[in-house]
Amino acid sequence: MAQLLAPALPGRARMRRSAPAAVSAVALIVMIGVCSSLQPGVLTVEGLTLVLSATVPLVIAAQAQMTLMAVGDIDLGIGNFVGLVTVVSATLLVSSPLTGVLVLAGLVAAYAVLGFLIHLRQVPALIATLGASFVWLGLGLFLLPTPGGTTPEWLASFGAWQPAGFPAPLLPIVVVALLVYLLSARSALGVRMRGLGSNPVVLRRAGLRPVTSRVVAYAAAGVLGVLSGLVLASQTGGGDVSSASSYTLMTVAAVILGGGSFAGGTAVPWGAAVGGVTLGLVSVVLSLLDVRSDMQSAVQGVIVLAVLAGRVVVGKVLR
Amino acid sequence: MNIRVAGPRSWSGPRNGAPWVWGFAAAALVWLVILVISGQGGGQTVSLALSLAPYLVIVGLGQMLVVTAGPGNIDVSVSSIISLAGFVSVAAASATGSAAVGILAGIGVGVLVAAVSTVAILGLSVPPIIATLAAGLVASSITLSTANGFTAVPDAGLRAALNLRPAGVPVLALAIAVLTVLVAALLRRTVYGRSLVAVGQNRRAAERAGVPVARVTATTYLLSGALAGLTGALLAAYIAPSADLGTRYLLDSVAVVVIGGTLISGGRAVPVGVWGAALFFILLDGLVNLVGWSTAAQNLLKGGLVLFVLFLAGGGDRSGGLASLFRRRPRPAAATTTTTITGDDTDG
Repeated sequence: MAQLLAPALPGRARMRRSAPAAVSAVALIVMIGVCSSLQPGVLTVEGLTLVLSATVPLVIAAQAQMTLMAVGDIDLGIGNFVGLVTVVSATLLVSSPLTGVLVLAGLVAAYAVLGFLIHLRQVPALIATLGASFVWLGLGLFLLPTPGGTTPEWLASFGAWQPAGFPAPLLPIVVVALLVYLLSARSALGVRMRGLGSNPVVLRRAGLRPVTSRVVAYAAAGVLGVLSGLVLASQTGGGDVSSASSYTLMTVAAVILGGGSFAGGTAVPWGAAVGGVTLGLVSVVLSLLDVRSDMQSAVQGVIVLAVLAGRVVVGKVLR
Repeated sequence: MNIRVAGPRSWSGPRNGAPWVWGFAAAALVWLVILVISGQGGGQTVSLALSLAPYLVIVGLGQMLVVTAGPGNIDVSVSSIISLAGFVSVAAASATGSAAVGILAGIGVGVLVAAVSTVAILGLSVPPIIATLAAGLVASSITLSTANGFTAVPDAGLRAALNLRPAGVPVLALAIAVLTVLVAALLRRTVYGRSLVAVGQNRRAAERAGVPVARVTATTYLLSGALAGLTGALLAAYIAPSADLGTRYLLDSVAVVVIGGTLISGGRAVPVGVWGAALFFILLDGLVNLVGWSTAAQNLLKGGLVLFVLFLAGGGDRSGGLASLFRRRPRPAAATTTTTITGDDTDG
């Protein structure tokens, strides 16, 4: 019996680990199915481009959130941060590209410093990122008090890019998820990051410095936040510091939908991508169903609860 | 599933002194700066701050109870509840002609939304931040549909009562001071309050000791919803109902709870501290308006100060004083007491 169980255990454990993302994937497929039955054009390349493009910034921001949740932290400032990046790209990046790039690099550095200080001073990330979110909002309002500005040409042409054969938004979603996967699941740094999330004491005893893990995770989150903001700016064609304020909690929901946990120690780049697309698709489904846009957030909330309820059921079955 | 059992919390004991002083100290400092800049009597500033702070205090008290319930507990639906309760209470008050019915309706809405979160948290084991987020999303959808073509106006009597300031002391501030004392008594003197603190300090130990953890958790979220609903009802009468009435109160409520000295990891609530931190925030807004800075500077200052105080206080090895304001991560030295139970994985 023991011999029979031994090889079965890892498979079962892996199944239990990937089950949450699988439930979300089912929700995603159901939603695409609903879309295509309402509007068969959705399944063409143009249709998918249209449907997916709105979800790209949220998915990339969800990867940033996932990176921090992997080390056991949570980022309550990501929404305003993404908004700030759209503002920088709509103002500085147009008027003086060099300054703009330097400012964006500075923002990534600010994230790394934030992570360093959180670690050095041993303070809860929840509060530190909350404080930082006021700073991002203030900087954004300082640069651009009212929504507006333009988009750099290269960014606008990226937003309008229409390759033949495959939907363009799929490329950033997959490439970013792959990069985050390589960093968090396949590299030595990734092991250290997840180690920090699951058991910092063991990480220390292994002679590795936890501070490196945290700073790398925050820097990666900063880079992903900048990417998300640039993509959002390429779509909206301007800057608005509060355009992404809903991302703060939506990204957390996307990571949870994708199988991540608040305890840290797990990295779910593919799950976060699936969760982000699922949440982003809600607005598309609703507009196809002719539901008023007022109800959009309610349906998002209900879907989150329904998927998590589904996970409880699946978890009970697998137990 | 990894369940972390926190180590002994001896350092959160009485030797930390009075963690609520710092909010008041910061508020007093800002007040002095305002006094120096404006050169006028400071009484009026205090009076104004006292009439604005209670709204933040009410919602902050609810958030404090939730945060006290232990790691991971946070109510992110408060902003949506405030907006929705504002509309519902104004509608109910103008339909019945009674301001009291309006306030009760607002509280009722808060309890209803919180009931949704509670069912998700306890029934579906959804993490609280997600459960309250989902309930809040549903509430904000209802708010948006209500806001379309909303014509009722807030009750004039209630508005006059909220603006009442005999001898410069707002009546509302006195009422909320009484409420704060009641919450403090609830935490210290009732079985529920003691259970809540016990659950926050160590959920497992509380469970083993026979504390009805589920019932305590449910009561906590319902109370937070009710207090947020009350905030919405009063705020809508004071200003006017709008869809983004409660937006700023989400981040602010969490911030005042933590600045007030309540442990973010749970297990220690400091109701008085919420007042100090709320006065600090309101006076800071006043200062920025006085100097004529934009909302940009206001946010920069607020965020900068929160970060500054946070990193200055920090965790580190010092104990007491400012350091006790904030919960630390388990320090390397103390972290040996952090046990990770992985038993759940092996019996599958």
